[in-house]
Amino acid sequence: MKKHLVGVAFALAILAFISLVATSSAQQRSTLNAPGAATSPAGAGGLQRGPAVPTGPAPRLPDGKPDLSGVWNGGGPVGDLEMGLAKGETIPLLPAARKIMEARQSKDDPEANCLPTGIPRIAPYPWRIIQTPTHIFFLFEGNIHSYRQIFMDGRKHPEDPDPTWYGHSVGRWEGNTLVIDTVGFNDKFWFDFRGHPHTEKLHTIERWTRKDLGTMVNEVTIDDPGAYSKPFKLTFTARLRPGEELMEYICQENNQDVHHIQGPAGVP
Amino acid sequence: MRAKLVVLVAAISLLASAVPVFAHHAFAAEYDAKKAVTLKGKVTQVDWTNPHARFYIDVTDEKGNVTNWNLELASPNVLVRNGWTRKSLGIGDMVTVEGSAAKDGAKMANAKVVTLADGRRVFAGLQGGNAPNQ
Repeated sequence: MKKHLVGVAFALAILAFISLVATSSAQQRSTLNAPGAATSPAGAGGLQRGPAVPTGPAPRLPDGKPDLSGVWNGGGPVGDLEMGLAKGETIPLLPAARKIMEARQSKDDPEANCLPTGIPRIAPYPWRIIQTPTHIFFLFEGNIHSYRQIFMDGRKHPEDPDPTWYGHSVGRWEGNTLVIDTVGFNDKFWFDFRGHPHTEKLHTIERWTRKDLGTMVNEVTIDDPGAYSKPFKLTFTARLRPGEELMEYICQENNQDVHHIQGPAGVP
Repeated sequence: MRAKLVVLVAAISLLASAVPVFAHHAFAAEYDAKKAVTLKGKVTQVDWTNPHARFYIDVTDEKGNVTNWNLELASPNVLVRNGWTRKSLGIGDMVTVEGSAAKDGAKMANAKVVTLADGRRVFAGLQGGNAPNQ
C-alpha cells in the first residue's frame, strides 16, 4: 500500500513536471514581448518563495539544550498515516476500528470542517515552535489557527484529564531529543484524510530531534488499545522554512467545501 | 530563460518532495480531475478568504445564456507566498480559468491555472491548493 502510494505520488510529480513544462512553453509563446514573465502575478515563481532548506549543525540554547525554535513544515501525517511506517510494517488496526474507518465519509473529516488536526496529524501549513524554560508552544498557522502547549516544568499528567483535541502534554529532554508524552485526547479528530480512528485511550509519545539546522525528525509512538492491537511507531520529518513568518488563517471564514465534499474518506 | 529556470526549480522541488501537498480536504472528495473545464468570463466577485480564496465569473454560452461560476483557489497565504496579491484579480477583469469541476454538479471548479486580464498564465493552487497534478 505504502509503496503504491509512493508510486502514485511520484507519478503525480512527473505529471506536474510535464504540466509545468507545457504551461511554461505556452507562457513563453504568449509573453514573447514580456521578458521576466513568470508563473505568479508578482513574478516570484510558481513555488513558494524563500531560500532552500539550510544546512549546518543544529543550534543550541545558551544552557546547552537543543534549540528547536523556528518556522517548520511537515513533521506528521497529512493524507495517510501509513506514510510514516517503516518498511514492511503495517498499522495494527482492531476490527472495530477498521469498521469505523471504512464507514467514514470525507465530508465528516474534522479538518475539512475547520476543526483541529489533533496529534500527530499536521496540516500542510507552516507552524512555529516557541521554546521557554517552562513551556514549549507549537503555533499552527493552518487548520486550524491554534496552538499546542507542552509543560516543561516537570509536572505530571492530571489523574483524569478532560478529553481535548490536543490532549495534556508534558515534555522532557533525553539528550538531544525532546520527548512529549500526551494523554487526555478526545476521540473526535482523524489521524489523516483516510480516517484512521482512535479512542480516548490514545497515548502518544513524540520524540522530536533536530538532526541539523534545517531538519527535525518526529518519531511518534501511537498507543491506543481501544483502536490498535499494539503500540506502533511512525516517523516524519519537518523542514525549516528560514525567513518565513506565520500568517493569519481563519478556516471558518468561508468554508464552502464541506457542502460539496462527497464519498468515502481517502487520500486525493 | 527565466521562465525555464522557474520551471526547472519548480520541477526539482516537486520531484525532491515527490509527495502531493493538500489543503484541509482531499481534492478528490470535492472535485473530479476527469471533469476538466476551461471557462472564460468576467470576474463578478473576489473572496480573499480562508480556507480558500474564491472568485466568481459570468460565463456566456453561444446562446447568450450567462452562468455564474464559483472558482476555488489556494488559501490566501499560499497565494501570497507565491506572489499573488488580493488585487491580482479585479471585478470586471476578463479571465480564463483551467480547472476541475465539482463532483456534485455545482457550477463550481478548482482553478489550476488562471490567465489574468493582462495575459499572464498563473498557477492558482500549486501548493496547498488541492491541484490534482501538483
